[in-house]
Amino acid sequence: MARYAMVIDLDRCTGCRACMEACKVENNTPQAHFWMYVFRFEEGEYPNTRVWFMPRPCMHCDNAPCIKVCPVGARYKRPDGLVATDFDRCIGCRYCEVACPYGVNYFNWKKPERNHYIDWTDREAGAVLDPVTNGAVPPYKNPDLEKPYGPERRRIAGGGHLKGVIEKCTFCVHRVERGQQPACVANCPLYALHFGDLDDPGSRVSQLLRRRPHFRLLEEAGTQPRVYYLGGKPPGEESRQIEAVRARV
Amino acid sequence: MVTQVQPIPYGVGRFSAALVLVILLLLAVIAGGVYALYTQLTEGLVVTGLRDIGTMGGSAWGLYIAFDVYFVGVSFAGITTAALVRILNLHHLRAVSRMAELLTIISLILAAFSVLPDLGQPLRGIIYLFKYARPQSPFFGTFTMVIAGYLFASLVYFFLDGRRDAALCARRAGRLQWFYRLWASGYRGTAEERERHDRASFWLSLAILPVLVIAHSTLGFVFGLQVGRPGWFSALQAPAFVILAGVSGVGLLIVIAAIVRRVLGAHDRLTPEVFRWLGNMLMVLVAAYLYFMVVDWLTATYAAPSHEARISRAIYFGRYAGVYWTSVAALVAAFVLQFRQFMRQRYELSRIVLAGVLANVAAVGKRMLIVVPSQTHGALLPYPPGTYSPTWVEYGIILGLFGLGTLMYVAFSKIFPIIELPEEGVEG
Repeated sequence: MARYAMVIDLDRCTGCRACMEACKVENNTPQAHFWMYVFRFEEGEYPNTRVWFMPRPCMHCDNAPCIKVCPVGARYKRPDGLVATDFDRCIGCRYCEVACPYGVNYFNWKKPERNHYIDWTDREAGAVLDPVTNGAVPPYKNPDLEKPYGPERRRIAGGGHLKGVIEKCTFCVHRVERGQQPACVANCPLYALHFGDLDDPGSRVSQLLRRRPHFRLLEEAGTQPRVYYLGGKPPGEESRQIEAVRARV
Repeated sequence: MVTQVQPIPYGVGRFSAALVLVILLLLAVIAGGVYALYTQLTEGLVVTGLRDIGTMGGSAWGLYIAFDVYFVGVSFAGITTAALVRILNLHHLRAVSRMAELLTIISLILAAFSVLPDLGQPLRGIIYLFKYARPQSPFFGTFTMVIAGYLFASLVYFFLDGRRDAALCARRAGRLQWFYRLWASGYRGTAEERERHDRASFWLSLAILPVLVIAHSTLGFVFGLQVGRPGWFSALQAPAFVILAGVSGVGLLIVIAAIVRRVLGAHDRLTPEVFRWLGNMLMVLVAAYLYFMVVDWLTATYAAPSHEARISRAIYFGRYAGVYWTSVAALVAAFVLQFRQFMRQRYELSRIVLAGVLANVAAVGKRMLIVVPSQTHGALLPYPPGTYSPTWVEYGIILGLFGLGTLMYVAFSKIFPIIELPEEGVEG
């Protein structure tokens, strides 16, 4: 069984937020939901300032506070390390959300079909979009997001399924099970994001972690995250967020 | 057999015009709550002021959870009073024991109800919370200890405690005679039976006391075990929940007892002695809670880690200062009111009631301060601070729950004597 992890090279990240965009398209997440979010930080006083960027997916922790508190087992750890959310099981109590120190959970406050960037049900929108997409399947109809995954056959992929449930980064389980990289990793123009198997010494992530110093976010909280950062340092009191996304539903 | 023709005292089965008006008013409030709930069920929780923690800058839990904690807290009063009556033989508190037990049962039902609108999928919640229950989740304790254990134990105690009165009521022919007979379940009032009853309720109340502490602590653990939320992760959470539960519970019991005394004119049973006792109990609990708050303040201002300090600043001087200092003022005022009466040994009903009201204002405020600031200002990653202000839907549903609880209370008091029937005439 693989032991998946993500490695994020902060020295390479330019804060372009292409990963955020890729995630939204791939997973059909509703407005204001950012399963992948890129912090843009500024430190120091003019003229001695420094700007740096930090992508923040779900940390897929080995000791995940969200899994501990879920009263119905909708949030669970897969043997390959992915922290999954079964949207057929979730009762929408949001305990996982308040328990998570990283703020990666997003709740469907309204019906997802009313919260998409384009009204896919609008016929006129279809007339405009069809020539553009060349009749390709739009993300909200991606059949992969509806399928069950893993030996436990639970539906855990994609977002925007139904109102009143929690959704979050899945590490693109529907792509990973096919042997592909998560959408954010595949779309990073600078190879700042890496994804792979820690148990395979030849994998890119294993090599990077062997070679370079790294840290994990909020390690002191004992969550044992599966996302490793290379280069740079964790954000501190001195890190001011600039250009924060403040979208609310 | 004179008792057969005498009507059941304490307003059972009698409806005055004012009472009908009150019931209509309560029904209107409940209807408002139902409408708010309908809006929320069709539109989703977007109609509330709740939003996601993190980039959305919101609070995922709000008024519903705060009042869930409040309602569970209020349930403290019943069992404590009943247990004190039985274990410490405080017989002068007998008159309020049924009122208190009923308060416990109704507030626990309201607590269960106030969780449901918080769920995104309430129907799933009702089934899955049992079907897929996970004991590892602190919520599990809330459902088993509080709803199942605590409510069940309270109902059993309530049943045992009411059998004698039910037997007395059953002597009288009427439409509800079957109900009284069922409740009395063969109670005759023989010496042997009373002795057995006494023993059973003594051991039951002795067993309920630890359950009470555990149940309120469990609710504290829902927050106190979350390492990811500064301001919540604290061992003080559980004991503070127990004490604040007592403050709100005893405070509300005082208010209810005063209303019952006024409406039913039961001055002979609800004597100043009863209120003196309840008032003193409230004073001790408020003092204990103030002590917790001072300890909290010292820890938070002297040497708090930066994330904790941010929340304390928001509570003490920032966005939540209004709620915080109102709660502090209400608690201090309640304590001073009671303490002055205690020192002079002269008690006035209106002052005790005022202290009870103030204690509840503070309890609601403190519950909001426990639930909300750690979410809006407690991010460990550098998200900007969030905001939360409840909408009419949330207020509507909570008011509706209060209406429902009051209606249940009134309805019960109309089918069963809300005060234990007097000793004389028992051996009929």
